[in-house]
Amino acid sequence: MQYSPSDNMAGTAAIVPMVSFRGVVKRFGALTACDDVSFDVAAGEVVALLGENGAGKSTLMKTLYGIHPPDAGQVLVEGHPVAFTRPAEAMAAGIGMVFQTFSLLPALTVRDNLAMAWPGTPWFLGPQGRNARGALTRLAQLAPGIDPDARLGTLSTGEQQLVELTKVLNLSARLVILDEPTSVLTPAEAERLYGLIRDLAADGVAVVLITHKLADVEACADRVVVMRRGRIAGTGTASAMTRAAIVAMMMGDTGVRGGDPRGLPPRPDLPARPYPQLLLRDVTTGTAPADAKGITLTVNRGEILGIAGVTGNGQTALAEAVVGIRELTAGEVLLDGKTISRRRLEPRQPLAIGYVPENPRENGIVPGLSLAANLALRGIARPRQHTMHPEQVTQCLTDYDVRPPDPGRAAGTLSGGNVQKLVIARETGEQRDALLMVFPTMGLDITATASVYHRMVDAARAGAAVLWISEELDDLLELAHRIAVIRDGRISSGLPVTPQVTRAEIGALMTGGQP
Amino acid sequence: MTPTSSGRTLPFAAIALATAAVFLLAAATFFIAIGQAPLRAMIDLVLFATGDAFSRVESLLKAAPILLCAIAAAIPGRLGLISVGAEGQLHLGAIFGTALVLAMPQAPAIILLPATLLAAAVGGALWGGVPGWLRGRLSVNETITTLVMNYLGILMVNGLVFGPWRDPANLGWPATASFPDAARLPVLPGTGLHLGLFLGVLLALGCAFAFSRGIRAERVRVLAMNRKVGETYGLNFPRFAVILMATGGAAAGLAGICEAIAVQGRLQPGLSLGYGLTGFLVAWLCGHRFLLILPVSILVGGLLAAGDSLQLFHKIPASSATILQGLLFVTVLAVPGVLNRRAS
Ligand SMILES: Nc1ncnc2c1ncn2[C@@H]1O[C@H](COP(=O)(O)OP(=O)(O)OP(=O)(O)O)[C@@H](O)[C@H]1O
Ligand SMILES: [Mg+2]
Repeated sequence: MQYSPSDNMAGTAAIVPMVSFRGVVKRFGALTACDDVSFDVAAGEVVALLGENGAGKSTLMKTLYGIHPPDAGQVLVEGHPVAFTRPAEAMAAGIGMVFQTFSLLPALTVRDNLAMAWPGTPWFLGPQGRNARGALTRLAQLAPGIDPDARLGTLSTGEQQLVELTKVLNLSARLVILDEPTSVLTPAEAERLYGLIRDLAADGVAVVLITHKLADVEACADRVVVMRRGRIAGTGTASAMTRAAIVAMMMGDTGVRGGDPRGLPPRPDLPARPYPQLLLRDVTTGTAPADAKGITLTVNRGEILGIAGVTGNGQTALAEAVVGIRELTAGEVLLDGKTISRRRLEPRQPLAIGYVPENPRENGIVPGLSLAANLALRGIARPRQHTMHPEQVTQCLTDYDVRPPDPGRAAGTLSGGNVQKLVIARETGEQRDALLMVFPTMGLDITATASVYHRMVDAARAGAAVLWISEELDDLLELAHRIAVIRDGRISSGLPVTPQVTRAEIGALMTGGQP
Repeated sequence: MTPTSSGRTLPFAAIALATAAVFLLAAATFFIAIGQAPLRAMIDLVLFATGDAFSRVESLLKAAPILLCAIAAAIPGRLGLISVGAEGQLHLGAIFGTALVLAMPQAPAIILLPATLLAAAVGGALWGGVPGWLRGRLSVNETITTLVMNYLGILMVNGLVFGPWRDPANLGWPATASFPDAARLPVLPGTGLHLGLFLGVLLALGCAFAFSRGIRAERVRVLAMNRKVGETYGLNFPRFAVILMATGGAAAGLAGICEAIAVQGRLQPGLSLGYGLTGFLVAWLCGHRFLLILPVSILVGGLLAAGDSLQLFHKIPASSATILQGLLFVTVLAVPGVLNRRAS
């Protein structure tokens, strides 16, 4: 479907578009990630770019940004053909992009990270430049809670995202590309971002917002562009499109299963007699705000225990303590009566529980190894590795809808959502006594999200104790048997999910307010 | 080792030819700058490196320690560690080996020789293992520790040969007594080519095999690319760091004792002509690929050997060989990168 000027916002239609993609093609070997893509973004317009995992959204933007120059077709900025070969050139032309994976330096403070990229900082002043204050203004606007002197590495993923965003906004770009910015933000942070995006548009900045969340579209998009398998599947004015229409466009004729519009499974029944399978006893990793402190929880066989909380409140420490890659200063974790946590980083047993870590591209895969090798990682420390047959690997990849299901492909070349599916395939592929999932649906499209929840529910039904750390309150309320809230590294309560528990009640516990 | 996403890469032959051309140009410029006829000097360079049996042996003799030291850097390099410690490990290997020879000079060759080699390997392994342990357990930067331990190793050799190990018969010359014949490395008859080179070749082939297949190679790869994931699934990074650093150290230790017993016949200062650093550069130049390290070490050995002869016959400064070697490294590192960038 071709974009026509009449779709555009009233008043800007006559003006040359800020950016035009004209028949852009980008291939990776045999795979065509972008296939003859054409559309425009006008100044002052917010375009939401949607599509399934691996549809080619990130790649399309990278053709503009000089990371993957297109194999065919053209990109025009304000009517002039451009062919950036490096991001620096794109930046100089007024284009800023926030990636799914960040380009920040974890060892430096927030202030230094921002000052380094601040165009007003003369090189000889370096990070201590006087202008650092200017660089921080937008941060204060966007995320007043972030301490500029904190080391970047200590921030949560969501907070890092905001810093990255600030860095790009500081460039005074005329076109801002945001790649799934809200997937790691709290509702409040997302609200602030929406406001900021609207402000940018009002100032005449063109914004491309790549997202999987229809809430983002409703909150701030003017126009929707949907991609499917590398092509434009359709476009439309945001206000005129229903959720169902957008989903149908994204999924093509495959549609969404089941009665629930999101295809969520029903909450599994609990076994008749509760059996405590996974025990956390006074789990403590330290005293910093993001450390776990005195966490005691019991997860029964077949039970899904949800842990709600704003990112950066100790979820990472808790998860790493449970799987034994972070030292405990006190307490222990027991699986079926046996200790699986460690006090000191001594030689360890192979991981006993299924573990889907936060930010799987960094914490869950070895990017340079093949999909097959990544699927076999759980056995890497065992004396003899049992290898799957290539057909089995392909079958497993197909079952979990990892695209493309090519066992020999390097895992690092998968799209964000497909990396997540790969990790989930590895961790839930076999039945385990316990399953720990940390923000498992981050960055996943609607079908992929539903399928992750199906896997989780299936695991619980088969008897696994499931510990599920998430920010998605609605999903927690829908699927978990109980919900505990983590704040400042402490569990503030454990509520059974009953019709009485409301969103507001848990939300208040998450942020520390009174219910 | 990350997969390249886009862009064409030029054929290997074209890159190799272009690199060689640039190096020849740079070398010619250098010879002109020091007042030599470039063509003559370069022809001589090749002749001195390969012209006759004697020069070929000389080249291979120089190549042996370079090869072993390159292996010493490449083994930990496979785990993502940057060890510059081959020089110190080489010296420690010489000390340990010499200590054994001095302790039982009367032993028959069949015992003395293997024991000496083993002791040298242990010495080098110790000097590599300690930084490996510090890195693995305490996250102390291995580049810094290996660098510092280089100085320690060299000073220890000096301390010993100026002090307790000095042979009074040397009339004040700082060196141990000459080694007994039983401690001499077997030599290919009529050439002076000693066992060290064969050890190096064997090790390189062995490593190429060991690091390319099997579960252990896979573990090293996992830890090198994503330590956290490897540790999640039970791999013990500190142990790998110690083992690989120690194994590398053992290779360098062998280089040290071979120099002492085969080339110099005793332990004395000036044991190594910067073989450790040269080996490090060779290893990185070759991307830690053992099969590539093998020919490149021999090439660099030839260059160094020919440099010696050049100095003798053309009356050019002794450092010329080092400068040529530097030019070689810079062109090999820079030219392919520049070409590929242009091409894509
Ligand atoms: N560097 C690369 N090398 C090879 N293939 C790649 C590379 N980058 C992306 N791809 C492939 O191109 C396709 C499109 O990927 P892209 O990252 O654009 O998807 P996306 O729409 O952003 O998905 P997601 O929502 O999961 O982030 C995928 O099949 C992916 O595997
Ligand atoms: Mg993407």
